[in-house]
Amino acid sequence: MEKALWYLLTATRGGANRARIINALTERPKNANELADELDVGYKTIRHHMEQLEDHDVVESGEESYAKLYFLTDRFDAYRDTFEDITEQIDT
Amino acid sequence: MAMGTLITVAAVLAGLNTLLLLPLVGVWIRNYTTFGTGLVGGLLLFAVAMLAENAVAIYFFFSMASFYSGDPGVQQAVLVLRGLQFVAIAALSYTTLR
Repeated sequence: MEKALWYLLTATRGGANRARIINALTERPKNANELADELDVGYKTIRHHMEQLEDHDVVESGEESYAKLYFLTDRFDAYRDTFEDITEQIDT
Repeated sequence: MAMGTLITVAAVLAGLNTLLLLPLVGVWIRNYTTFGTGLVGGLLLFAVAMLAENAVAIYFFFSMASFYSGDPGVQQAVLVLRGLQFVAIAALSYTTLR
C-alpha cells in the first residue's frame, strides 16, 4: 500500500487533489458534494478521485445510494505516517 | 532521403512517444514543485531521459537512413523496439493521467 499511496498522490495528474481529499476526510467523513464544495473541485472530478481512492483501499463508502459518506479505511490509518511524510511539503 | 517503410513507421512511433512523454513531463514537473519528493524527481528524470532518447532516435532515422537500409532484419528489430517502447509509455501515461 505504501508504494501505491506514493504513486497515487505524488506521481499522477490528480495527486494533489487526492491528498486534499484525504485531509478533508481526516476531520470527519463527508459525501462527494461536501467534498466538491469544500475543495472547490467539480463533483464529477471528486467522484473520479473517490473511485480511484476506493480501488486502492484508501477510502470506503457507506451503504446509502444517495449522498453516501466516504470514510478513510483502517488500512490507510496504518499508513498515516507515510501520508504525513508525503504531504509535509504542501502548503508550507 | 529514401527511408524504408519500416524505418518510417519506427520514426513515426518515436514521434508519438515524444508526444506522449511531454504531458508526463508536465505532470511530474508540477507535482515535483508541489511535493518535492524523490519519487517524482526520479520519474521526471526518467521521462526527460526517454524524451532525449526518442529525439536522438528520430535524428538517427533521418540522418543515417542508409545505415538502416542495408539489412531488412535491422529495420524490423528497430521497429519492434520502438513499438515496445510505445506500449510501455502508453501504459504509463494511462495510469498517470487518470
